[in-house]
Amino acid sequence: MHSLSRRLLVSVSVPLALFFGVMMLVLDTGFRALSEHSMQELLDSQMVGLIAAAEPQPNGGYAPAPHALDPRLATPRSGLYAQIRSQLHEWQSPSNAMADVDFGPLLAHGERNTTYTSFGHDRVAIESRAIQFEDDPQGLRTLTFSVAVSLSPYEEQLWRFRQELVGWFIGLMVVLLVTLAALMQWVLAPLRRMEREIHAVEEGRSDVLGAGYPRELSGVASNLNTLLVGERKRVARYRDTLGNLAHSLKTPLAVMRSSLPRQAPAGPMGAEIDRMTDIIEHQLKRAAASGGALIGQAPVDVAQVAASLRGALLRVYADKDLVLELVVPAACQFIGDRGDLTELLGNLLDNACKWCRDRVRLTASAEDGAGPRERLLLQIEDDGPGISEEDRVRVLQRGVRTDESVPGHGLGLAMVRDTVDLYGGRMSIDSSPLGGARFSLRLPGR
Amino acid sequence: MRVLVVEDEAALRDNLKERLTESGFTVDVARDGEEGLFAALEYPLDVAIIDLGLPNLPGLEVIRRVRAAAKSYPILILTARDNWQDKVEGLQAGADDYVAKPFHFEEVLARLQALLRRAGGWASPQLKCGPVVLDTRAQAVHVDGAALELTTFEYRILEHLMLRAGDVISKTELTERLYDQDFERDSNVIEVLVGRLRRKLDPEDKLRPIETLRGRGYRFALPRDTSS
Repeated sequence: MHSLSRRLLVSVSVPLALFFGVMMLVLDTGFRALSEHSMQELLDSQMVGLIAAAEPQPNGGYAPAPHALDPRLATPRSGLYAQIRSQLHEWQSPSNAMADVDFGPLLAHGERNTTYTSFGHDRVAIESRAIQFEDDPQGLRTLTFSVAVSLSPYEEQLWRFRQELVGWFIGLMVVLLVTLAALMQWVLAPLRRMEREIHAVEEGRSDVLGAGYPRELSGVASNLNTLLVGERKRVARYRDTLGNLAHSLKTPLAVMRSSLPRQAPAGPMGAEIDRMTDIIEHQLKRAAASGGALIGQAPVDVAQVAASLRGALLRVYADKDLVLELVVPAACQFIGDRGDLTELLGNLLDNACKWCRDRVRLTASAEDGAGPRERLLLQIEDDGPGISEEDRVRVLQRGVRTDESVPGHGLGLAMVRDTVDLYGGRMSIDSSPLGGARFSLRLPGR
Repeated sequence: MRVLVVEDEAALRDNLKERLTESGFTVDVARDGEEGLFAALEYPLDVAIIDLGLPNLPGLEVIRRVRAAAKSYPILILTARDNWQDKVEGLQAGADDYVAKPFHFEEVLARLQALLRRAGGWASPQLKCGPVVLDTRAQAVHVDGAALELTTFEYRILEHLMLRAGDVISKTELTERLYDQDFERDSNVIEVLVGRLRRKLDPEDKLRPIETLRGRGYRFALPRDTSS
């Protein structure tokens, strides 16, 4: 029941089916009453005709005059049967011939009834009346008049009626449901549009939801837009504040350090300043890392970020005759914050440039089969001395404090590890075919 | 070597000036972006240190305009906003390296020296020309392995000439880069210093490391040894 259309369909088709069911029952009952009535009328009229036509016979029984006989009674197995019985005499209509007739017991004077039975395979309704003729030449005696009519024409009619009824109802039901489905498409179209637009915003293809939603949804759409814009502004302000905080803390620290007595070893003051610097560096940066794609944030082209970092690093490491190779397909995109990606790649590439002899390589690729948060694979490798097994473990360990970071790799790697964690990605270190360390990051992207 | 320090924090600026002077630099200072831009465009500089967060004119803009004016001396960025996006922007604007605040002075000095070396086309901190070896980190000079006793000014002249070995450097340029602006320019002093330097480097007058090009200046004539 997780689909609105299904709910609507069920909520409409159940009462509809009930309604149709009851309708069929009512119509069927009505039709049957009607056909029973007409059958009764036929029996009655035949009965009256038979009684009127009955004449005393020389053998002492009663029989209708042949000319007054209903043609159906004169035809064998016509579906209409008659019988006149007394204690001693019996008259059968010619139609009774070859039929396995049984009109039941004789009745007492004044009795009349209608019963249902079978003549062989033919289902029939029998009306019987017990009558005494006052002018009976044999004296007053009770005669039982019976007329039977075959039910099969009525049953056939009823069957046809039911078939037609069901046919019409099924047809109507189908037409109604198709109309309903079409209507639902139309009614739910704005909801589907909203779903599409939210998806586009999620993927960064658009900033906000469009205008022109129906009244019932326009409120939701505008609230969502307010939320999106507000969230983006809030994060921007938050980062700005953190940046300013870092800036305004670091400048006084720089002043403090510059005013330390020179030459002599830095002493406790110097060590404390270093520690505070590390804390500001690490914690504030960590707080500023967004750790996830903001809704409505455009995906970041990895190639673009990598190219600008490459330019910057080649300037910084102009001393080394560096070959900084980028193997980044143009289609590779990181779903997340540009600043975070710049920080991740900047730290790792800087590290690689620092430790390499002269070769550094960044490879990016998309792995469609991987989980949604690990689709983008970034590998940074160099031809330097590499990282020992022990240090690899320490670098990757969660919760290692900044002052326990691997010497020579600075806070950069702790920062990288934390950011990758925030994105729900994975980071691993192994040996590069180039000879040095290879860092592999798996991050949300495509 | 003449260095410009553009930094708005007075304590940092004074400290940098003091320690750079001690390290043998001639130091100009500016306290905001506009002042810094003026100095950067007008003074004969070898290198500049520019803070990115400056009042009046942002450091990034100063760097852009300096590069737009075709000044090619190296620029070192000082920044408290230590993230890669800012670093990349600074380097793209035309800076050559960066140091994050709060910095160790030794780090700034090492970066400055490296930048100067690079600008002169040297790959290592040891400048070797024939038998003359000048170590920019130790500020020491050896000839044929023997240490040479030089005064501060003698060392500075030699460093300047050797960093740009092969180039002709005028007396005016040497004077400008060795003394503060208000120094009364007397080219005789340079001549005397260069004369003393020659005698110390080449007592037997065999190497002739420093050429005089009449009316144009001096040139360090020994070929660079870039094998190491």
